[in-house]
Amino acid sequence: MAVIGLPYKYLERLTGTDKDTIIARLPMIGSEVERLEADHADVAFFPNRPDMFSVEGAARALRGFLGIETGLPEYTVKPSGMSFTIDRKLTGIRPYLGSAVIRNVKLDAESILSVMGLQEALHWAVGRGRSKVAIGIHDLDTIKPPFHYIASPKTRKFVPLDFNRELTMDEILAQHPKGRDYAKIVQGFPLYPLIVDADDHVCSFPPIINGERTRVTTSTRNILLDTTGTDQRAVQVAVNIICTAMAEAGSTIESVEINGKQTPTLAPEERTVSVRECCDLIGVDLSAAEMAALLEQMRFGAQPDGNDKVRVKVPCYRADIMHDWDLFEDVAIAYGYDKFAVGISPTFAIGRSHVVYTTAAQVRAILAGLGYLEMMPFTLTSERVLFDSMRRERSPRALSVTHPISEEHTVVRTDILPLLLEMLQVNKHRELPQRLFATGDIIESMKTTQRLAAVSMHPAADFSEAYACADAVLHELSIQYSVKESADKALIDGRRADIVVAGKKAGVFGEVHPAVLNAFELEHPVAAFELDLTAVPGYPVPGDIPLLHGR
Amino acid sequence: MAELTQNEKRLLASLAQEQKADASRLATMLDTSPEAVVQWAHLAEEKGLVSLERIVNKAFVYTDEGKQYVQNGLPETQILAAIGQGSTLSDLQKHAAFKIGFGQLRKKGLISVSNGTVIKAEGASTADDEAALKNPKTGGQRVKDLIRRGILQETESAVYSVGITAAGRELVNRGLDLREEIGALTRDQILSGAWKDATLRRYDITKLPKRVYPGKTHPYQRLIEEMRQVLLEMGFTEIYGEIVQSSFWNFDALFQPQDHPAREMQDTFYLKERLPLPDGWERVRDMHERGGDTSSTGWGGTWNVEKAEHCVLRTHTTALSIQHLAAHPTPPVKAFCISRVYRREAIDPTHTPEFEQLEGIVMDKGVSFRDLLGYLREFYMRMGFEDIRFRPGYFPYTEPSVEPEIYVDGLGWVEMGGAGIFREEVTAPWGITHPVLAWGLGVSRVAMLKMGLKDLRLLYRSDIEWIRESPVCREQRPSKGGRT
Repeated sequence: MAVIGLPYKYLERLTGTDKDTIIARLPMIGSEVERLEADHADVAFFPNRPDMFSVEGAARALRGFLGIETGLPEYTVKPSGMSFTIDRKLTGIRPYLGSAVIRNVKLDAESILSVMGLQEALHWAVGRGRSKVAIGIHDLDTIKPPFHYIASPKTRKFVPLDFNRELTMDEILAQHPKGRDYAKIVQGFPLYPLIVDADDHVCSFPPIINGERTRVTTSTRNILLDTTGTDQRAVQVAVNIICTAMAEAGSTIESVEINGKQTPTLAPEERTVSVRECCDLIGVDLSAAEMAALLEQMRFGAQPDGNDKVRVKVPCYRADIMHDWDLFEDVAIAYGYDKFAVGISPTFAIGRSHVVYTTAAQVRAILAGLGYLEMMPFTLTSERVLFDSMRRERSPRALSVTHPISEEHTVVRTDILPLLLEMLQVNKHRELPQRLFATGDIIESMKTTQRLAAVSMHPAADFSEAYACADAVLHELSIQYSVKESADKALIDGRRADIVVAGKKAGVFGEVHPAVLNAFELEHPVAAFELDLTAVPGYPVPGDIPLLHGR
Repeated sequence: MAELTQNEKRLLASLAQEQKADASRLATMLDTSPEAVVQWAHLAEEKGLVSLERIVNKAFVYTDEGKQYVQNGLPETQILAAIGQGSTLSDLQKHAAFKIGFGQLRKKGLISVSNGTVIKAEGASTADDEAALKNPKTGGQRVKDLIRRGILQETESAVYSVGITAAGRELVNRGLDLREEIGALTRDQILSGAWKDATLRRYDITKLPKRVYPGKTHPYQRLIEEMRQVLLEMGFTEIYGEIVQSSFWNFDALFQPQDHPAREMQDTFYLKERLPLPDGWERVRDMHERGGDTSSTGWGGTWNVEKAEHCVLRTHTTALSIQHLAAHPTPPVKAFCISRVYRREAIDPTHTPEFEQLEGIVMDKGVSFRDLLGYLREFYMRMGFEDIRFRPGYFPYTEPSVEPEIYVDGLGWVEMGGAGIFREEVTAPWGITHPVLAWGLGVSRVAMLKMGLKDLRLLYRSDIEWIRESPVCREQRPSKGGRT
């Protein structure tokens, strides 16, 4: 979500209605009103609608939605007679360029804020933090065409914005605040992108910083726009959004010649869509004319074409229209989400629970019957808790995340017992006895399976309590088992037993080793029990996961 | 007045004769111990039937040392007696009581030593000390000294005197039922019929019981079960799947562009492992690059196989929904899933790196956006949220998209998850030709609203006091929604 400040006066002037009407309907066009201030509203727009990231763009959409001005906004573009060259060496670095000349700019405090806000929001939503697209705005009267987009040696010097001395491009990356923020996008390339004018004055070091020379102020009357990036479509969308927003504010747009082509054209794209398909999808009966009218309300050009077709002109700033259904959503929005007569399809299906969850519910009932309280600890934990504190060997079958967010959450649990001991630690000031259990997912060798663990802490907790609990649970789960001496170092030697089901270890129970109690800062004996639920008869057992190796 | 026990009645009956007596005397009369008499008297005293008086008796007892001295005289008396004319120090030192006795005599100034000869003072006598030893009750400094010297000990003993009050007498005059009272009913009494001749003692029901904490499921799990129940009742099939997913199923199959910010390392838990792509992955690639055979333009650019193979901890249950649909492409499909999902977020009161997500999907011939809104209204209504509205929303894999909001007193309209129809770019690669309605929500958000939680961490690191005190049943609600 991009949060855009909408000053009431400017918004009212551009929209042609009062702010209360606008604010009441804003959520229904697809936005969230975050804050209402004395002089402006902060409104969050969705990332698929960057054309609304300016007061001008939002007002344009609102005029349609509120029925003040509908249909396709038309923008005329005259050639500026200026041109731009692109250096072939930029191919592997940052190959795409878009540009335009914007004249008769009347920047006051409000519109300059709007343009800056738009530029920032576009950098985020379309530009992916400037890596995909970066935008530069220059005072055209400080530079001379033709302009050149070149791959420059890093030793090139110029005065960057907000500085009063020349720096090399590498110095800018190290010293300029913007250089430090965005250095990672260009670092590693042998040459850096640079925009210069006919006299070799630096306009911009995209995507990092403009030159101080071309700074835009409130007295700027004519603008040269540059957008550079790694994706041609995104670069063009950014140009279209900025140019049409400036045109809405009263400027005129002129094209620039790039590689022999005049750009931008600001011309709409055409799509012909089916009325039937739209009505089926949204569940509202509309005629072709009704559908066209709703599209016009969303600022598309729309003409019925027979009974089942509508010819749509998609404005150049609507980059989100990739598929016919994108238009159908706009039909639904214009129709009004609050006006749908909601209903439920007669789809017949019989509900069925999954055996993993029904087993879990049975396990919970058994443990609750035995007097145990359920806990729901995290599945992310650390090797310290999982293995070291438990006196168990670290397991190569445990799954590590590559960029953990903290030292406490580096691996996915392979067992639940250690997490339960942690819960006892958290609750050690609470009344005894404490009998806790948890059931849920664990991951070993990439596979998700389920386990149960139970602990009982009080001065008389012992092996026989653990055995009795394990035996009761195993009996209730219809698991035929035998026991044998365990080698689990988390439990006391001679007071620990493995649960063996069909010849395989399926769990363990016994008294927790005092060194483990010390590690979890527990002060009373703990009887513990854990069980692999795949031992339950009929329980689904996942197959091995075929990993890719090498490369 | 609380009912009298059998023993209180017996005590009152005895007191009716004695008026006032020591507990020990009453104990003999009632064939019990004085302690029991005091205990019964306490109960009767609370009811104003008897008066209980504690009389403290001080007494002196001799220590073992003291007992010797009573027989043989104090050490100083013994030494004084041994001093004759011209007794020397070395003579006296042979006496067993010399050490203490000589010291005491010196201290009391009854003797003096001159050139090795011990001389009695004029009229030297220990008669007063001996008198104090024999009759300590007389008290005084000498007795105190004897106590300090460990010869005497002072003891206190309390005796209880019980008397009957006017109210007690009145009760006795009205007549007491002295038949045997039964406390704990025994098997013998039940079988023999002895209970018929006995009174079952009335207990004080105003006393609070000892708190018992039953074993039970977690309050959050109970909310999850409520949601499962609602969806099962609505005819949905529950699905379940792996936590580890390839980026292919978690992102690419859902038409998330490969440069989408949600795919970045800072938002998703990536693993070093890679999984092979499923059959049909080329159709997903084509959809990304140019929109496949649909009216879509696709995202353009080149789709990277290796990026799709990288494994993640699933960031949403939609990764499971799309696999369920790919395996069941023919209608109807109604499925749901409530499972944990993972986001790389630092822990704070409103964020946890893992949380439960609920997701429901409906795929059928002729289902529409209007039906989706109907399912949403039905679900939230059954969860007890009756004011619901719909707002346009945006999710990369649905079109149209909608954000349901529910009205909560004191909070206003609160966003409750997201929903939409799966984009054709998502469904077409798997041969799904009918619309798929889908909605999801963060279960912990619902928990915050329903349980009034301020801190999500309490769900996963629970204070057991909170679980012990959370009632299993909060309030029974008549079932809302549905067509009945």
